[in-house]
Amino acid sequence: MKLLTHNMLTSHVKGVIKGYPLLIKATEVKMNEVEFNPQFVSRMIPKLEWSALVQAADELGQRQDLPSEVVPDYEKDEEFLKKVHRLLLEVEVIEGCLQCPESGREFPISRGIPNMLLSEDEA
Amino acid sequence: MSSQEDGAAEPGPETVEPSNSSNDNDATTGDIISVTIGATVPTGFEHTAAEEVKEKIGVDARISKDRGRIYFPITTDKLFQVHRLRSVDNLFVVVEEYDSYQFKESKEETLMELQQLASTLPWTNALEVWKLNRTFKKKKGYRKGGNGTKGKPKSEAPDATVADTEQQELPQTTSTEENQTEESVPEAESDTQDSVEAAPGAKLIKFRVTCNRAGDKHSFSSNEAARDFGGAVQEFFQWKADMTKFDIEVLLNIHNSEVVIGIALTEESLHRRNISHFGPTTLRSTLCYGMLRLCKPQPSDIILDPMCGTGAIPLEGAIEFNSSFYIAGDNYDMAVNRTVNNICHIQKRRADKGSISGLPIDTVRWDLCSLPMRTSSVDIIITDMPFGKRMGSRKKNWDLYPSCLREMARVCRPGSGKAVLLTQDKKCFSKAISRMGGLWKKLYTVWVNVGGLHAGVYLLKRTEALFGQTPEDVYESREAVSARGDEKADKEIS
Repeated sequence: MKLLTHNMLTSHVKGVIKGYPLLIKATEVKMNEVEFNPQFVSRMIPKLEWSALVQAADELGQRQDLPSEVVPDYEKDEEFLKKVHRLLLEVEVIEGCLQCPESGREFPISRGIPNMLLSEDEA
Repeated sequence: MSSQEDGAAEPGPETVEPSNSSNDNDATTGDIISVTIGATVPTGFEHTAAEEVKEKIGVDARISKDRGRIYFPITTDKLFQVHRLRSVDNLFVVVEEYDSYQFKESKEETLMELQQLASTLPWTNALEVWKLNRTFKKKKGYRKGGNGTKGKPKSEAPDATVADTEQQELPQTTSTEENQTEESVPEAESDTQDSVEAAPGAKLIKFRVTCNRAGDKHSFSSNEAARDFGGAVQEFFQWKADMTKFDIEVLLNIHNSEVVIGIALTEESLHRRNISHFGPTTLRSTLCYGMLRLCKPQPSDIILDPMCGTGAIPLEGAIEFNSSFYIAGDNYDMAVNRTVNNICHIQKRRADKGSISGLPIDTVRWDLCSLPMRTSSVDIIITDMPFGKRMGSRKKNWDLYPSCLREMARVCRPGSGKAVLLTQDKKCFSKAISRMGGLWKKLYTVWVNVGGLHAGVYLLKRTEALFGQTPEDVYESREAVSARGDEKADKEIS
């Protein structure tokens, strides 16, 4: 699971109001090189929940020096864009789980695939 | 989009060669020649294929009256570009084209004429192109005929008298059926052939003829045409006929009065290129590419396939339209596993070539009627919806379509969002869509053929309306909504 995907995933357990962002508990993380496309990153930034990305990076120990707010004029800041690129696309959670922040329900991640299926009574 | 269906195309200036021995020589003059290339594409996607040709090769393609085929001119210095085309299943170089061929009354006369035709056709340029094309390919040895592609149904007998024949699905198997009579061509000639070799040391060329025939006014069958035409070709060139291990595949395409003779440039159909782990309903990559082109992915678009199966569509997208990001999801564990296997296979292949291997794609296991995605977070939804016949059942579709269309509307960005949905259950789908005018607008439909079944690819636009506020989704989804714990809608109802 990449962090870009995580940024859009939310808990959908019945009755939960604040199911976002999901907490990440990773037992295996891998790096996977992806070609850098500055236009992709700079257009993606406004679509992201920035604080959720920062929180996820912290949980994985991958934050490095990522700022807690988006820097102004980031379109031209290649260093910044490369950091964001790395976090969004190159860090992969292979094993672990995602946890609903409100209900505590855990969704397992195996082979990089989060299993978000709910049981009958949870849905 | 161009769709010029004008008169017969001129294949380019060339002279008729009475003797063929020079064709076996390797000596090429190095001159640039101009030829017409034919391409078979998934039926319904001729226009998107023509668009791709315009974009990558810079020429206007003509769409044939025979569905699923386009033609375009090219010069030999640019020939390699045809192998970059992602919307074509098979490629061939045109030897000759007849827009309105006048068939003789009787079968005997017609077949005789076909035989005579073989020696008068302008083969030279086409054979030069065939030779040149071989240099682009890895040395594979002989091609195999009759390659089965797994998990697909056999197509009908190609020489059915209905005008509507679907050849494209299994071109290899079709030709095998066609050429059963090829074996009756006398083997006794092999001695003579050896001694009439073109040049010392030149390899004996093996060939076969594939005939696709459609139309209800022909006095002959495709088998007969292939046999007689093939026999004459063999006479003329002194090649050896071989159905399974051939160097040259000659194509004889007859669609009503349109006759095209060509030489194949592709060895095996290109439509399975990305998938190593098949499922029961894996879509061919050329069809996936056509669907992706329809929705025009933009840089940074988030593209969702909520019923991804083996991941064919998002994987094609991650390779060809790689400045977008793809999320592939399915509820079935075998499907998500196969998707990941297919992604890994491609990444490994890229790594082996020394390229940066990572693809902009991720896989999630989920229930598409209850997507674990933030509202309005997705730009494009593209998927192959379960057909009643091969997966799921008609009865299930009645419930499935409305709820998943609604859930897709929730996650799709209002105003700018789009959906490209493939389905065979057109009745069920149309009914479901008609009740959702507040959320989805139908832009247009492409009618396609998938594994012998008629299906529609619907291009939809997400309306500006926010989810939870249109009359349809507030009233109809009352139960589903409260089950998902969507408090906002509950408030509006009460």
